[in-house]
Amino acid sequence: MLTVEHLTKTFANGKGIKDVSFEVRRGEVFGFLGPNGAGKSTTIRHIMGFMKPDAGRATVNGLDTWLSQGKVQSAIGYLPGEIAFIEGMTGRGFLDFLSGMQRAQDRRRREALIERLQFDANTPIRKMSKGMKQKVGIVASLMHDPEVVILDEPTSGLDPLMQKVFVELVLEEKAKGKTFLMSSHSFPEIERTCDRAAIIRDGAIVTIADIRELQRMQRKLFEVTFETEEEASAFAAAGLAVESREGNRVRVAVQGDYGRFAEETARRRVRNIDVFTQNLEDIFMEYYDRRGAKG
Amino acid sequence: MSVALYKQMMRVNLKGILNYAFGSAFYILLMFWLYPGIAQNTAALDDIVATMPAGVGRAFSLSGFDSAEAFISGEYYGLILVLILAIVSVQLSTQLMARLVDRGAMAYLLSTPTTRVRIALTQACVLVSGLLIIMGATTLAGFAGKAWLLSDRYAFDAGSFAVLNAAAFLLFFAVGGIAFLVSAVSNDEKKALGISGLIVFGFYSLDLLGKLADSIAWMRDLSIFSLYRPGEIAGGGAFPALGFALLAAIGLASFAAATALFKRRDLPL
Repeated sequence: MLTVEHLTKTFANGKGIKDVSFEVRRGEVFGFLGPNGAGKSTTIRHIMGFMKPDAGRATVNGLDTWLSQGKVQSAIGYLPGEIAFIEGMTGRGFLDFLSGMQRAQDRRRREALIERLQFDANTPIRKMSKGMKQKVGIVASLMHDPEVVILDEPTSGLDPLMQKVFVELVLEEKAKGKTFLMSSHSFPEIERTCDRAAIIRDGAIVTIADIRELQRMQRKLFEVTFETEEEASAFAAAGLAVESREGNRVRVAVQGDYGRFAEETARRRVRNIDVFTQNLEDIFMEYYDRRGAKG
Repeated sequence: MSVALYKQMMRVNLKGILNYAFGSAFYILLMFWLYPGIAQNTAALDDIVATMPAGVGRAFSLSGFDSAEAFISGEYYGLILVLILAIVSVQLSTQLMARLVDRGAMAYLLSTPTTRVRIALTQACVLVSGLLIIMGATTLAGFAGKAWLLSDRYAFDAGSFAVLNAAAFLLFFAVGGIAFLVSAVSNDEKKALGISGLIVFGFYSLDLLGKLADSIAWMRDLSIFSLYRPGEIAGGGAFPALGFALLAAIGLASFAAATALFKRRDLPL
């Protein structure tokens, strides 16, 4: 449905993307993971036909997105990473205008989406908060019922409740056979919706894997606070991957083996457990390291 | 052309365009209102101009107070209208292309099934429409002014007045085309505004300097403003067919180049 083949682009400052290839199948939700500046947006810009690749190509529905710009777009819904609207319009005015450009006349779907995301579409865009603009953008990307939806950092600015609504929306559309490409810099954001994901770093694909495999690969940091220092030191000596220990607090890294972690923890009196949000490179540290060693 | 985009862009820019159109219409009416007072003192004014260096009179078109369209061609079409249209051409063309790319809104236009060529041509149509509205309002106000304020007591050649307006429109069709070309290849709104402003006002200055002194008259040949000679048209000169053709050709070539370059370039959206 959407393929990227050996896509390469080098910018004047030497940055860019190198030999990026992946394929998103029909009806699949595909995650595109990477830290900021890794090349996610650059790749998406090529898929949207905003840039001409130095080598390789991107196709949607079998059409080259650079050569068939203006034609492939009839099958695509797009949410830009940084949303910028035309000035002096209300949310609804903008959506009306875009429907005209998309040549989609059915307003019911749009109104249903506005209802779901719960925002006042008659607010002038310049008075909207970041989250509200994001909602307008999400409606714009889905209202014409496109076959392929490309979302660049879709949940940025949304509160947890709306993130949940968004996840439901994606899953419903997926059930209807729609194809999604969704970029993110955070793994938890995409693991709820995606079937597979590619991880990109420094402009090159590090891995493409099943989401369950990635979940096994991911490394989580737990900080457990015990009642006494003795319990803490006994826990630290139990053979788990201890990151640090300070008084009665122990920080351990867990990868896949949650049962063992739960077992060792439950043996002692626990006062508190914290999970640390980490950046992508820490979550997939082993992945990156292993690849790095190979390369 | 995309009708939806044209409508939207006209809606966004119409207010500014109409402000300039009303301003211009009002100003030309003011000139007509002033003319009877001037006409009574034509001889005295000509004497004053005669005491100035020849270049100054030429540069600011201080000649021919003996007919209404000659007076207006000198005092309005020679300076104020040119400045108004130069500002509109530079500003509007920057807003229509470079600003949308700079601020990212172009991403939305390009995410719809509309080719880049269509977007560029639609935006060019908006620019030309803006110029047409301003010139149309100015022309109508001129004819209205003649009917209301001058009646039949003063000489006024409707034909050469119409040609004068057509000439002003064509000049800015060309100037707007060049500004649009700059805007279509720019990623940065401020840079586009700066460069096209520099080109347009540079051309204007070359023309003005060339008129000031005979020794540097060659400077005029470098400027497309020399293809626009309101004084000669009002003075009853021959129809400036070559100038018209050249201005139209420069405009068309610029819009075509802008579209072709916009189609092929990388957009940082």
